[in-house]
This record gives sequence, C-alpha cells and structure tokens, in this order.
Amino acid sequence: MQRMFMRRVGLALLLMLAATALTFWLVTAAPGNVAALIAERAAGAGADGAMIARIADELGLNDPLPVRYARWLGDALTGDFGISLRTGKPMAEEFAERIPMTLALLSGGGVLVLVLSLAMGIAGAVSNGGVADRVLHGLALVGASTPNFFVAAMLVIVFSVWLGWVPTFGVSGLSSWLLPWTTIALFPASVLARVVRVNLQDSMSRPFATTGFAKGLTRRAVLMREALPNIAIPYMTTFGAQFTLMIIGAIVVERVFGLNGVGAFFIEAIRFRDFIGMQAVLTLFVVFFVSVNLLFDLLAMLADPRLRRPRKA
Amino acid sequence: MLKLDRRSFLATTAGLSFLSVLPQTAFADAHGDTLRVAIAGETGDLDLLQNVSTLSTYSAVFDALIHYGPGGALEPGLATAWTIAEDGLSISFDLREGVSFSDGTPFDAAAAEWNLKRWMGVADFSWIGIADAYDSIVIDAPNKITVKLKRPVPAALLELTIVRPVRFLSPKAAAGQPIGTGPWIVESYSSTETILVRNDAYWGEKPIFARMELKVVPDELARANALRAGELDVIGGDWVAQLSPRRAKALEGEGMTIVAEPGTATTILGYSPMAPMMQDKAVRDAIYLGIDRAAVATVLFEGYADPTVDIFPTTVPTAGTRTPLPARDVAAAQAALTAGGWTGDGAGWTKDGASLEIAFLVSEEAFPGSRRIGEMIQGMLTEVGLKVNIESVDLATMHDRRPKFDYDLTFFATYGAPYDPHGSLGASFVTASDTGPDGKIYVHPDLDVLVATALETGGDAREAAMQAVYDWLRDNTAACPLVVTQRLWAVHPRVAGFTLPATDYDLPFKGITLG
Repeated sequence: MQRMFMRRVGLALLLMLAATALTFWLVTAAPGNVAALIAERAAGAGADGAMIARIADELGLNDPLPVRYARWLGDALTGDFGISLRTGKPMAEEFAERIPMTLALLSGGGVLVLVLSLAMGIAGAVSNGGVADRVLHGLALVGASTPNFFVAAMLVIVFSVWLGWVPTFGVSGLSSWLLPWTTIALFPASVLARVVRVNLQDSMSRPFATTGFAKGLTRRAVLMREALPNIAIPYMTTFGAQFTLMIIGAIVVERVFGLNGVGAFFIEAIRFRDFIGMQAVLTLFVVFFVSVNLLFDLLAMLADPRLRRPRKA
Repeated sequence: MLKLDRRSFLATTAGLSFLSVLPQTAFADAHGDTLRVAIAGETGDLDLLQNVSTLSTYSAVFDALIHYGPGGALEPGLATAWTIAEDGLSISFDLREGVSFSDGTPFDAAAAEWNLKRWMGVADFSWIGIADAYDSIVIDAPNKITVKLKRPVPAALLELTIVRPVRFLSPKAAAGQPIGTGPWIVESYSSTETILVRNDAYWGEKPIFARMELKVVPDELARANALRAGELDVIGGDWVAQLSPRRAKALEGEGMTIVAEPGTATTILGYSPMAPMMQDKAVRDAIYLGIDRAAVATVLFEGYADPTVDIFPTTVPTAGTRTPLPARDVAAAQAALTAGGWTGDGAGWTKDGASLEIAFLVSEEAFPGSRRIGEMIQGMLTEVGLKVNIESVDLATMHDRRPKFDYDLTFFATYGAPYDPHGSLGASFVTASDTGPDGKIYVHPDLDVLVATALETGGDAREAAMQAVYDWLRDNTAACPLVVTQRLWAVHPRVAGFTLPATDYDLPFKGITLG
C-alpha cells in the first residue's frame, strides 16, 4: 500500500512538472511581448524601443526557453511566482488574497453538488420510471446542457433584480453565496445525479439486491442499504473529476458575480496579457487538478481493496 | 405537546437557516450618504509613477497645478495663477495658500518642487513635452515656483492637467499611500472595492455626500443588473466601467436615467502608410466616400455617437474648422477609383494586373464592438466593389501588427481630453515618435514637418499651424474619421444632479445629491 501510495504521489509530481513546462511554453509562445507590457506599465505612452530592449535584457527574456523555465521553476519552488504585470503586486500576495475566495466558492459548490446529486439521483431511483424520475431526468439534462453564464444571468434576474432576495455581486454575508454556489454546482450536480441514478439501477439488478428482496426487504431499503454503498467508487471518482472541472466554472462565475478569486484574476490576466499572472494561475490550476485527482484516487483505493491489489503480470 | 422527530427537526433547522440569511439581503437600502460607483477593475494603490492603477480615481484624490475645464479651459488648481515668460523658457506658478495634504503636510513650494522633480527630467516621462524640456526649478517664495525649460513647450499648461504623473502627492506619504490634497481621501482599497471619504479640509467645493464606494464589477451585464437592483448608483464611463450603447438603451427603457454627452475621442479608420494599395489616394478616397458614418452612428452606436470626418471634435481645444459631413456616395467612390486608373467590373477592381483587396484588421479586445463596425463597413465597401477581408485578432496580435503597419485598414482612436490635440498629433502622426504597441494613424515626411511646426508654435499662431495639419490630412485623405462616441453613463433614480466632469479620466461626483 505504501509503495503504491509513493508511486502515485511520484507520478503526480512528474505530471505537475510536465504540465508546468507545457504551460510555460504555451504562455511564452503566445503573441505579445512581456518587456513591452512592463515598459508600458512603467512609462505608459512613453515606453519606447530602447526601454523595452533594456527590460528584456534585465529579465533574461533573450535567454533560451529551457534556461528561462529552469529559472522560473526555481523561483516558483520558493513561492516566488513573479509580479503581476496588471496589478503590480507579487503573485504570492494575489494568491493569498484570492485563493480563500475561490476555495469558498468551490467548497460551497462542492457541498451543493453532493446534496443535489444524491437527492436527485436517489429520488429518481426510488421513483423508478415514475413522474419524479422523468422530471428529475429532464432537469438533469437541462442542467448539464445549460452554460453557466446563462444560468448565472437568469438566477440574478429572478432572485436579485425581480425578487431582491440576494445581492447581484460581491460578498455581503451568506446570502450572497447562494447564487454563485447554485450556478457553479448545477452542471456537475446534473452529471452526478445521472451517475447516481444509472449506477443505482445497475446495482438493483445485481445478486445482492435480489438476495435483499428475497429476505423481504422493501425496494427503498434495498436501495439505501445495499445498492447505495456499492455506487461509492464510481460516484467518488466522478465527483473528483467534476470537482476539478469546477475551477473552470469558477473563471466565469467569479467574474459574473464580482468575486475577487483566482478565476476572475485569470480572465483579467488574459485580457491584459499579464503573462506572469497567467503562468502563475495556470500552475495553481495544475496543482489543483493533479492534487484533487490524486486525493480521490487514494480515497477510492482506501474504499475498495480491489484497487489496492498489486497488478499481476 | 409538540412532537418533533429527528427528520422534522433537521428539516426545520435547515429551513430556518436558509431563511435566516435572507434578511441580510437588505443590501439595496440603507446606503444614505454614499454614492456607489461601478469600476471595471480595482483601483490599485494610485501610484503616480506607475501605469497600473485605474486612471479615473486619481483626480478624486490628487490635485494638479492646473485643472482641465470644459472645452479645454484651464482652471486654477493648486496654482492660482501662472505666467509664461515671453521666450517660453520659464513658467512661474503662484501656489494656492492654506492648502494641506490629507495627512496634514502643508502644500508649499518645497512640496511642489519635490513632486515635480519626481518626473520632470526623468527619461521614463520624456513623452511629456515639459518633462523632456525640463531644465530646473527655482523656489521664488514659499508659495511661488518657476519651472525653467530648455526650449519652449506650447502645450505645457495642458500637459500639467493630465492624470499621471503630474498630480501632487504628500512628500511624507509612505510607499503605497495615496495621500493628496483632493476632495476625497482613500479610506481603504482592495481588489473588490475602494472606499473614499470626503476631505472636509478640501480647499475647493466640497462634495455634497460624505462617502463614495467604488465597487469592482468586471462584467458589464452584472453592472447593469446591480444598477437595476439598486445596489449601484451609477455605471458607465470609458475609463471607469464601460457601458455599451445597446445596454444603455435597455436601461433607459427600465427607468434609469441615461446621460450621454459629446465625447472627446474620435474613432478613426487608419490606412496603412506602408501598404502599397493604401498609398494610392484613389483607394483612400473610395473608402472615405463609400462609408455611411451616420448609419454607423445610428445603427451600431444606437445614436450615442456623432458622425464626423474631422480628426478632433470641438470638445478639445484647437480642433480646427469643421468639415461638412459628406453623404455616402457609391458613384463618387467608384468614379474616384476610375480616375485613379482602376478598372472595375462586377468581380471587383484591378489596376496593372493587381486586384483590389483590402485586409481589414479588427480586434474586439482593442476596440469593443469593432467586429460589428468592421462588418458594416465591409458591406458598404462591397457595394463600391471593394473586396474587404476582415481579420479578427486578439489584442497581442493587434499590438504586434499595428506598429509594423501590417494591415491595410484598422481602427484607431484619438486619446481625447486632456491629452489632445497635442497628444495624438505628436504620437500618432509623426514618423519619429515611438508609440510602442499603439502604432500610428498615418505618417508622411510632409506631415512630420507640419506637425512639428504646429506643436512648437505657441500663442496666436498656434491655431493656424494646427489647421495646416488638419487641412493636409483632409486634402490627402490620410485618415478616415468615423464617429465621436458619446460619453455614456446610466444613473439610478435615487441620484439627482448628475453631471459629467470635463474628461473621461475623472469620476463624476460634483453636484450630485442622493435621495
């Protein structure tokens, strides 16, 4: 088990390294000139060719790409992700200010995903072809096929502008989180509700369910006591994947609801060609993706002994 | 006796918890003496020497020696009077007495000298004429200074009205502390909002309300919804939180007040001076005549733009005489091409075996809405028989291609007040200027001479020298002005007396009362 754990962690670290190298290459290959942007920040309309050349030289932008990557990686490992070209603040400061906001969005959204997906999936399975099952199936379909910027706009119009129940933007108490959490949770909850529903249906036709029925248990009892624990592994794995994808949703949701998280920063970094900011955020995303997936893989291994068995040749 | 099982208890608790958060949503009320203004991005620390913070917030906190008034009138700021020597080589300023920075530091000649020396004579600010020509500063008296120059700078006084870096910071301010003498004091700033409180010791007319909250709302639709919900009082302003004409129309129909005033910046279609096709004046004439500017203003800007063929609007000083707006004339455009040696048939125009195809570079990031304007112009020019290929690119590609004149047609905009006309002329129409990623609208050796003469000419002769530049540009069809977009704001009904400041780089607050 320990060897398998170390192997997984080692692979995750290698993956992070490869992904940061790839993003570094992509960001540096994008059109635009970092030195020109820094010069523009310092001197506005007064940025001229000589100043741009001097800055490029000072920053080592004329060095070969591997040398630049190695230098960036060395700094990043010590927590120095550079200074944002847009805000002029060190990226470490930006992260310290913005990560809690994004984590709050993802955590609240994650809890809502858990509650909604299980409730919808189980209710559908209990109804089993009834009206509730069909309605929930339809809702899940709509939720999984509606872009979150549209969901956000509709929720704001109804609950903020028409009803005035919750604020349209910013954080001013728990109520201000309701719409962002709902928006970010709708898509993954819809996907997971189908995972729960389909896997429960599958489990209900397995021998252990038949045994349950033979023992005189009701359908609901078999569903909750026998079938539900058996969908834990596929649910956990899909939840992990959907949770990591929520960071992409956060990019839109944070902007629409005026939340100063990492996602909103990323959009502005792209708009202003803040290469340093973009690279830092992409690195954070990579770490988040790989870590969350690793965590859920390990949880699945803990939950299912079959996954812990060494592979036979 | 009331029986409560576990399930009911949990359901009731969950329901009450949900309901308990709702009272906190009385957010749209109880803001009394506070004006809530949307800003598209965080203000930052308002460092006067860095090109990072939001431009519009500076003038609320920092004063200049001279303030820019309506139409470019120079109004006393921290200087009550000024005198330019006859040879133009020195400017004396009488400094306002009894003024203090908001940290209590007195504003006097020493504070003025400390501030001016931060940017005058500094290479990074050589784009400002007075900084480039700076020689020395002499303190004549505790409240009088003289700036000595190596050469006359006719636009010097206008340059002293700009936002950054010319405004005055307390010499005792620590790094990152925005302390000025202006009508507002920064109470706090973060990535979500900046809070300004009234400076009760302000030397000028004090704001009527006590507090201004600048709320960061990057998304335009979110800003409009917040205004509708009563969470914001005003939205708009090109340099504050842009409001699109279409959104303004929608808000107007929902009871919001739309304030639209003549703008100070012109949207111009630039012809590349390096593209062989665009060096042919007949082609430039055909494009100039083939565009219906009034239709562009009406259809794409919902009427919130004024069609023009002049480089600068009359809202900036020495903008020159007005050229009557020509009606779109397809036959005249085609006649211009024929006179220029082009042969037209149903398939297009050719000359010396080359067919007339125009690469039209547009970027939504550089100019929001430019794709739609480009498509409308493409349609109009197609009727003339011109083949126009739109290339839609991102901002970085625009920044890369524009300085190289790697296009046939593309969009430009003049800087607007208080930077014009000297700012745009000196940067966008001069071969030797280095405008970095902004590129240039048009350059030509003859134009270089005219612009240099105009910018160096002061006094009564300046207007004629400027007019010579405008005449040359018009006679050579060197640029194709389209519209002057109006300054657009949407105001919540609780706000009364909303008036716009003189430039787009200032925040509106003067005269505003809150209901």
